[in-house]
Amino acid sequence: MLACSYSYADVQQPIRIGVLAFTEPEKVEQRWRPTIEKLELDLQRSFELVALPPSELEHDVSLGKFDFLITNALTAVSYKKDYGTSSILTLIPLNKSNPTEAVGSALITRQGTQISNFNDLRVLNAVSSDPNAFGGFQIYAGEMAQNGLNPFKDFNSLKFAGFPQQKLLQQVLDGTADIAILPTCVLENAIAAGNIPKDSLQVVLTQPNSGFKCQSSSQLYPYYSLSKLGKTDHQLATKVIRSLLSIEPASNAAITGRYQAWSATVNDSEVFKLLKQLQQWPFVTNWTSIFKSALPVGIAITLILLLGFIHHLRVKRLVVLRTRDLQAEIAQHKQTEQALLEQTKQFYRAQRVLLTGEMASGIAHELNQPLAGIRYLTQGCIYRLSDNQTELKEAMTKALQQVDRAQSTIKRFRYFCQQPSVMTLCSLNQILDETLSLMSAEFQRMNLTPVLTTEVIQLTADASLLQQVFVNIIRNALDAMENCTEPSLAITLKMKHNQVHINFTDSGSGLSEAALERLFFPFETSKEHGLGLGMIICKRIIEEHHGEIKAMNNIQPQVMTENTQFAGLTISIVLPLKEQTHE
Amino acid sequence: MSNLYLVDDDQDVLDSLTWMLNGLGFQPQGFLSADEFLTAVDLQQSAIAILDVQMPGMDGSALLSHMVQANSPIAVIMLSGHGNIAMAVQAIQKGALDFLEKPVDGDKLVISLEKAASISEQNMQRSVAKQALTTKLDTLTPREHEVMEKVLEGKLNKVIAAELNIAQRTLELHRQKVMQKMDVSNVAELAFLMGKNIS
Repeated sequence: MLACSYSYADVQQPIRIGVLAFTEPEKVEQRWRPTIEKLELDLQRSFELVALPPSELEHDVSLGKFDFLITNALTAVSYKKDYGTSSILTLIPLNKSNPTEAVGSALITRQGTQISNFNDLRVLNAVSSDPNAFGGFQIYAGEMAQNGLNPFKDFNSLKFAGFPQQKLLQQVLDGTADIAILPTCVLENAIAAGNIPKDSLQVVLTQPNSGFKCQSSSQLYPYYSLSKLGKTDHQLATKVIRSLLSIEPASNAAITGRYQAWSATVNDSEVFKLLKQLQQWPFVTNWTSIFKSALPVGIAITLILLLGFIHHLRVKRLVVLRTRDLQAEIAQHKQTEQALLEQTKQFYRAQRVLLTGEMASGIAHELNQPLAGIRYLTQGCIYRLSDNQTELKEAMTKALQQVDRAQSTIKRFRYFCQQPSVMTLCSLNQILDETLSLMSAEFQRMNLTPVLTTEVIQLTADASLLQQVFVNIIRNALDAMENCTEPSLAITLKMKHNQVHINFTDSGSGLSEAALERLFFPFETSKEHGLGLGMIICKRIIEEHHGEIKAMNNIQPQVMTENTQFAGLTISIVLPLKEQTHE
Repeated sequence: MSNLYLVDDDQDVLDSLTWMLNGLGFQPQGFLSADEFLTAVDLQQSAIAILDVQMPGMDGSALLSHMVQANSPIAVIMLSGHGNIAMAVQAIQKGALDFLEKPVDGDKLVISLEKAASISEQNMQRSVAKQALTTKLDTLTPREHEVMEKVLEGKLNKVIAAELNIAQRTLELHRQKVMQKMDVSNVAELAFLMGKNIS
């Protein structure tokens, strides 16, 4: 059943045989027609003969359009390599006994031209039929390649004149060319046919060969061969072989086909060598095949290179970007550092001025008290004197004047040290942020992060003075938490009824009732090296802003127990939002 | 002569000021803090107080506020070691009689004290009068109070009777009672008494 359908298909499909034809495919077809007819007769199948130029033939072979191929030995070998065809028969040419030595190349010059070695070729204008012609070019190109020469360079010039080959002989004769590369026996055949006068042309650089009756300038190679494609059925191939082997030299097929007979495939290793030789040389390189075989590798390499290049570009771009970022960051860092430094400087300058003022104020107060006492006492004495004690009265009045003088000096000193505040519209949370960044080192030392609860508040105030207040309060809080295991500082900034409430709550040691009462008095300090002016400065500043500052322990002393000794202190500041106008 | 109180946290200053005031013929009583002062002194009695502004705990300014709030007739003179204009204005606005720089000259203080004495007296009298008026008003029944107000508005008896929906005779009885209780003989006198105390 299967065989039936198979044979049915066979009957329908003619067997296609491809033939290599450089020119005039009809002539080639004519040559092989009787051979095909013999096959049709023997196999009772229809055959189709297709004569094609090399490139088209190769294209069709690659698509597997043929069953068999008749090509020269080199083409057969190259297809074998590229498309997996297998050579099954070799043609024995006319008058040749050894099919392995059936064809070669002949260099033909005019009689009398002296050529003894390859160097003599350099001055000659060469002509050949086609770069794909086997005997006519490729064999000799291989021969030259073997000797380290390049036919495209080592002739004075090289032209391809096409077919028929007789034309080339004519060109050498009339001097258009100096030397022709042709297959062996072309000259001998032409002379035999009387187309060329005997002794007018000669074959040069001949190589000795036994049993070959034409002169050859090259090694000899097998001639045509029949190949089958890989897909072709072996039974069909066997039938074809059987039919072809039975062709007699005297038969029509052999005579028209200009061959003696077909023989089993001969050793094609020499042809392989030639093929390799030719492929190593660029002049006959089968660019297409090399290109095709190299294409995936080429694409891969290109792709890798391209990817590498893209990667390189990307890395370069990243480097540029990162560098720019870094530079911007460095610049920003520098700016921040500069700003911080400036702020710190400003802060300390303000603090110095404030401290001086407050110190003057404190000293003035401290001196004022005893001076007041002296004055009261003295005046009290004056009032007790009788009217006739004028001498005493005079002296005591002078004492009063001395006290007044001392006092006016103190007053002037105090006014001199007083710093007028500069009120501007500023953002309270910004001031707080700046203060915290100013003190960040101290927070780090304490391993403490202040808990902030703020809202955006705009206020007319002296920013540098308020900063003094914040720094003083925070520093006091940090000092109070020096021995605390879990220091914490909460700062809240809140708007309520047109008033700003600022609270600083620490978890420090808190203050005793007495200390709390005298917190805002000058020269009151619990610190070893403290001046005791920080809180009075704060109070003075807040009062200058018409606000109020208060301090209270987080836990009232009544409910304080042993465990809650670190309850901490809360400093709360209330500032009116609107500037008061009653001054 | 009304009482004179001194409040200052510095004992030496307090003593020396007392010494000077003694020399001037005053008999001041000294206190070291606002709390001490508040516990010892009846704020409703006529007196003069000299307060130091800077004090721990409740300071002079807070004490002044406290006294004003308590409706005290005491005349207050503030003393400050380093007062500024803002402080002075604030004190005067709150109701202080004077704001003097410390140490104060005895002669100047005397002038202030004399003024304070009369003010305190006036305050006291006003306070007494007001108290008397309040006592009188308290004796009125709600109806009599109603009648008095309508009388003070200048309305005629028959109009008031109509408004209160009572007989004119009854109204006349109420009106007579009001005059009696308020210790006045005619409407003009009543109006003067009420007006004086409202201001």
